[in-house]
Amino acid sequence: MKHRMIALILGAAALIAPACAQTSSSPFPLPTPLEKELAARAANVTEVTLGKGMLDFAAKIMDSNDKDQAAAKQLIEGLDGIYVRDYEFDKEGQYSMDDIEKLRQVFETPEWSPIVHERESKGSESTDVLMKMVNGEPRGIFVLDAEPKELTIVLIVGPIRMDQLSELKGLSGLGALGDVEKKTKTKDKSDDKPKTGGN
Amino acid sequence: MNRHFWIPLACAALCVLIVVPWVALAAGGEGGFDGVVGSIESRYHQHAMRIPLMGLASVVAGAATHGGVDGVQVAEFEHFSAPVDGEELNRLVEEKLGQGWERMIRETGRHGGEQTLIFSHPEGKRMGLFILDLNGTELDVVQVSVDPDRLNETILKYKHHDGGEDSSD
Repeated sequence: MKHRMIALILGAAALIAPACAQTSSSPFPLPTPLEKELAARAANVTEVTLGKGMLDFAAKIMDSNDKDQAAAKQLIEGLDGIYVRDYEFDKEGQYSMDDIEKLRQVFETPEWSPIVHERESKGSESTDVLMKMVNGEPRGIFVLDAEPKELTIVLIVGPIRMDQLSELKGLSGLGALGDVEKKTKTKDKSDDKPKTGGN
Repeated sequence: MNRHFWIPLACAALCVLIVVPWVALAAGGEGGFDGVVGSIESRYHQHAMRIPLMGLASVVAGAATHGGVDGVQVAEFEHFSAPVDGEELNRLVEEKLGQGWERMIRETGRHGGEQTLIFSHPEGKRMGLFILDLNGTELDVVQVSVDPDRLNETILKYKHHDGGEDSSD
């Protein structure tokens, strides 16, 4: 009887396994329901999901003799993933501050440190840049750029150097990275000066 | 005792062998590139134009790139006028491509007829790429298998033949 039960369980597992294999979870850490909600509300959606395998593949077809490509190749070879979500809306108010907060909450862990936190006085535009630090080394960057009719999320996982970020701005949806580099440089400079107020 | 163990297990295995292909067939027949194209044809009532002698072209592409590019498959829908729901199209492609294919890029517009889907599939040293692009009234579906090392060698060879691009640019 016991053996028959084991056999039935094994048989059931054999039936269920293919179905389970199809529902593998996405490596992108943002909450899937929220992603779907935003995508449903947006007029235009761009999603880029480049895992380590694809980045290694892309690095292989980049020309090491070309200065620009060589720099990008060097950067992406060590990365574990690049994820971009860009949502363009028809009108203002199609996402809420609550949505932004939910996105931010995912990265409210000790590993992630905010390096840019910019708000417009009217509250309709904001930029957040968070850096993942492991043993004092940058291991990831998260950018959340909210405009009245556009929401851009960029997540880069893996060892990264801020001065190399602009090399990736040519990739779809990563144009904002050039601005991030400027913003962090500006922040570094302003850190040297006496602070006159908060963020 | 052994017989009590193996008979139910053999029955379960037989069920898997019979039921899984039957379920796959019931779920919409063949998968892969042809499955996607067939499903688009039946879902949107459009007819795909297959490129004549594509098999030969694929062999030539493979030879010209020393295996860098292989298994080229192309289908083209001209005058594609059916309204497309990006989410539904994505689901259709994902289901038909099956396991192992991961979506890399998706660009979808709610209003216009612009949809782009790019999927990748690691095949050892090679990478399978599936591209679907709807631009206005033209929908193109392409599948290709790429060996990055060999493709890179070919690209570099042609660059050198062209006199070489100035790497200091």
